[in-house]
Amino acid sequence: MEKQVSEDFGQQVFETLKYIIDPEVGINIVDLGLVYEVSLAGDTLEIALTLTTQGCPMSGTIINAADQILKERFPDLDVHVNLVWSPPWTIDMMTEDGMRQLEGK
Amino acid sequence: MSTATSSNSPGKWVVLPHYAFAALAFVALSILLLFSTDAFGGHYFHPKLLTLTHVATLGWATMLIFGALYQLLPVVLDCKLYSEKLGIFAFGFLGIGTILLAWCFWHFELGYSMHLAACSLVISFILFTINVIQTARLAPKWTIESDFIVTSAIWLLVTGIVGLVMVLNFTMAFLPVEHTHYLKLHAHIGMSGWFLLLIIGVGAKLIPMFLLAHAERTEKLNWSYNLINVGLVFFIIDHIFLHTVFLPVYAALVVAGVALFLLFIYETAKTRKRQDVDLGMKQTFVALALLLLPLLLVMVISSQLNFPQQLLSAVYLVYGISVFLGFISALILGQTFKTLPFIVWMHAYENYVGRFKTPLPKDLYSHTLQRWQNVFYLLGFILLITGVLFQNQQIILAGAIGFTLTSILYTINVYKLLLHKVQELKPFTYGKASV
Repeated sequence: MEKQVSEDFGQQVFETLKYIIDPEVGINIVDLGLVYEVSLAGDTLEIALTLTTQGCPMSGTIINAADQILKERFPDLDVHVNLVWSPPWTIDMMTEDGMRQLEGK
Repeated sequence: MSTATSSNSPGKWVVLPHYAFAALAFVALSILLLFSTDAFGGHYFHPKLLTLTHVATLGWATMLIFGALYQLLPVVLDCKLYSEKLGIFAFGFLGIGTILLAWCFWHFELGYSMHLAACSLVISFILFTINVIQTARLAPKWTIESDFIVTSAIWLLVTGIVGLVMVLNFTMAFLPVEHTHYLKLHAHIGMSGWFLLLIIGVGAKLIPMFLLAHAERTEKLNWSYNLINVGLVFFIIDHIFLHTVFLPVYAALVVAGVALFLLFIYETAKTRKRQDVDLGMKQTFVALALLLLPLLLVMVISSQLNFPQQLLSAVYLVYGISVFLGFISALILGQTFKTLPFIVWMHAYENYVGRFKTPLPKDLYSHTLQRWQNVFYLLGFILLITGVLFQNQQIILAGAIGFTLTSILYTINVYKLLLHKVQELKPFTYGKASV
């Protein structure tokens, strides 16, 4: 049964995923707003993430990276990373930090 | 939320050899240019100019586009490449055909060697076209970009077939009209049908992507596609059968199509969220600006104005140069550094991302070399067209030197990327918190 992800745990997941940088934009995938959903069901951690453009060649790399990093960070959990295209990513999904980085570059 | 498939990228051995070959072809082209300053004083049907044109269009531009497209087709069409083997065979035939054809034109050897070269090229184009069409058929959604790309591949094949017919005609003389008549057909199908349509199709997807810009409305692209193709088909029918005075009308249709694409890019660029435009994108914008020159010149030459013959020949040459060494080369010089670092990085670091501190794609090549490459390119191009227009061999030579320096800097950077080795990487520690 899916349980509510505690704020603290959710924060740890997001902080971990911040190590993954989009190589084209140079901003991490959390601040880019690419991570749509984090859920924990029993020992299964499910992540839904997207990319800035459909068909982006980075899809495999980013999914593998998210999968590896979360497995290493949370070795007791069964990690599933799903790539989703709906809703399509828009610039408005970026965090304030992400926007600052984008504008500051 | 519906889940999607992961990466569609092809193996690196399908893509990277094209970049390696194209860079060397660009150096060869520049060196040949140094030894061809005497060829720009007359008609464009000259062995050295034919050599330069085919090294530029086949060895440099088409070779690089083939390689880049195998990487970009899955991005644009959102599906896997139909066949990597077809891609490798197309590379082989294109490489052999280009070298042989360049040798034949330089020595004006019009016999069986040239037949072999032309056949090799047509085989390459057939394989490429099959690969593009079959890949497009795998795409989950047919888009205007698919229209541009598939149609461009078909036009490439038509260009190749017209070229093969002309090569056979050198020894068998079966065509009813003089050779330059078909050369115009061959050149314009290649320029508008192959290069222009392909660049618009891919550019319409990639430029907004690189700028993080919205490009939701495609009406301008639809009209662009229709106008360019209608203009080209009318031109072909008229040129072969009718011989009317409507050439400027057909040219205007193509120009209007390109103008709509430029307008699409302009409107998209206005919505961009990314303010940092890197050197690759700056060079891309230079290329789009340079596109205005051939658009202007095609109206001039199609209007058949009463220019003195010498000036008319010079204008024809500047027109050709502005397409191949202007717009297309400028675009390649820019887009190489938006695509190749990414491809190399992905193959080198995809297993390390998130676990180790990895460099970014932009860290894998020299920005200083790229900056000087762009400077020498622009200087070389301006000098070359000035020299050709004023029939001055010293200025042409200065332009050729500019291109040679550009090609050397470009090739050093490309090979720096191609030969990149993964350095020792520092692992991440992921902070102190525990689950």
